[in-house]
Amino acid sequence: MNGVHDMGGMHGFGPVVAEAHEPVFHAEWERRAFALTLAAGFLGEWNIDMSRFAREQMPPAAYLASSYYEHWLWGLEHLLVERGLLTRGEVEARVTALAAREAR
Amino acid sequence: MRVLRAADVGRVILKGGSARVHEPRAAKFRPGDRVVARNVHPVGHTRLPRYVRGRRGTVDRDHGVFVFPDTHALGQGKTPQHVYSVRFTARELWGPAASPRDAIYVDLWDDYLDPDPGP
Repeated sequence: MNGVHDMGGMHGFGPVVAEAHEPVFHAEWERRAFALTLAAGFLGEWNIDMSRFAREQMPPAAYLASSYYEHWLWGLEHLLVERGLLTRGEVEARVTALAAREAR
Repeated sequence: MRVLRAADVGRVILKGGSARVHEPRAAKFRPGDRVVARNVHPVGHTRLPRYVRGRRGTVDRDHGVFVFPDTHALGQGKTPQHVYSVRFTARELWGPAASPRDAIYVDLWDDYLDPDPGP
């Protein structure tokens, strides 16, 4: 699809700045998002190209405003809901519960 | 449904995964062949970047046979075919103001390419 992920040749994003001693993950949640994506992939309900296509379906404004592993997490949620393994309500309920725990 | 057990994680991760297919397929092109990337706009997943569509390049090398992402992403099969590293000059992609010395190599599947009909 001619999505916003296909960025080759686009202007206006500024220089690519290489990070010295770049860590594999910049936050603990990124490690979890990566592991969760791989573990869920082993359920055998989708393949790697379906995973990539899922990430491409993130709304373009949100895609540009979010980070690499946010794309991964969005794509994973999309596939889990699409395949009926989770409902959108279950995801939202979990987010609400975690936010409440964080606020305490 | 398959489940990845904690005890298997190390072995499975080290083994990795590859999209290479170990089945012979006829190659449409050979290194040195002049090709044109198809001007197509599939609404599903594709690994054909917009900036090479309709552009002329040269097959640099043949990587072998791989799963075709466009059909695989739609659950329409692996459609194994050859993937090539195709060289496009910067001037072909970005016009006469681009550096005459620069080129980009893009990995492209047989179904993304046609023979260059020439001038």
